[in-house]
Amino acid sequence: MKRRLLIMVALIFMLNTIIFAQQPKTQNSKLKIQNAWVRPAAKGANSALYFVIENNSIKTDTLIGAESKIAEEVEVHESFKKDNDRMGMRPAGKLAINPKSEFEFKPGGFHIMLLGVTKDLKIGDKIEVVLLFKNKGKIKIKAEVSDMPITKKMKQ
Amino acid sequence: MKRLSIPFILLLIYGCREKLPVVDDFKNSNYKLINQNNQEVIFPDFVKGKLVVMNYIFTNCPDICPLSTNNMRLIQEQLKKEKIDNVQFVSLSFDPEFDSPEVLRKFAGIRNLDLSNWTFLTGDKSTTDSVIKKVGVLAVPNDSTIFKNGRKIYYYIHTDRIQLIDPEGRIRKNYKGSTINVNEIIADIKSLQ
Repeated sequence: MKRRLLIMVALIFMLNTIIFAQQPKTQNSKLKIQNAWVRPAAKGANSALYFVIENNSIKTDTLIGAESKIAEEVEVHESFKKDNDRMGMRPAGKLAINPKSEFEFKPGGFHIMLLGVTKDLKIGDKIEVVLLFKNKGKIKIKAEVSDMPITKKMKQ
Repeated sequence: MKRLSIPFILLLIYGCREKLPVVDDFKNSNYKLINQNNQEVIFPDFVKGKLVVMNYIFTNCPDICPLSTNNMRLIQEQLKKEKIDNVQFVSLSFDPEFDSPEVLRKFAGIRNLDLSNWTFLTGDKSTTDSVIKKVGVLAVPNDSTIFKNGRKIYYYIHTDRIQLIDPEGRIRKNYKGSTINVNEIIADIKSLQ
């Protein structure tokens, strides 16, 4: 009887751990996402999401992807300079965020590409995107639609 | 000495006037294109007599082309503030197979762009290719994304350019579209008025 009870408690604990691990985390003190903003886009078009990752921990973490209901596909991309006045864009793959550092996703550089947005993204609207980190797991962020960088620190 | 100094002074005056030398000329070139309202226009004929600020875009571009377009908006707003008129803005798509007039209209609409003196252009691929070749803009399909439903879109490696064209259809200066200094082009516009 006692053994059965122990097994039950252990199973409940494991189940809770699994469910908790799959829930997107809100901001924690070690890994912060600041100043998130996203470009306007008409339904079906593409947009780009920008923000700053602050890694205040002593360990490297890795951004491995992103997901959102707001777009058909979500990819991590990078704009790059081809030569003097030509620009291109390519998938960026996984990005290591060094300890005690900031990593900026900004116009003309790294961005989260939202492909085929599922509704009009009008200036002032807010969207939700989940960033996937190797160690921290999922972090849910809110981003405001703007045609300029959002400089004030937004609460996530 | 006097004889030598007069031509020198004239050359200096001429040099100052020609602050923006002619880079290229649309003389005898006319292109049949379609605007965002699905109306046929002849470029550059329809903007003759006006200074033109022009950029080259594709709307699937989420980063560089919106940056360039936003800079065009900032230039337009600054000109309005300074009450400088007779300037026309033009955005030409080099991806006309995707960028239909409707797509361009939505691209402008969602950004609340003022289209009172701003025209978006598309057309036959061969015609848009001819325009960009004429002005020295390169656009080459590179990476692509295939959606779950099989739809495929391309990303171009392309020249990042805003161009200043004078009322006679002559290209006077090229700028990097995504990082242009708004004050610089405003000063250049004033110098051509």
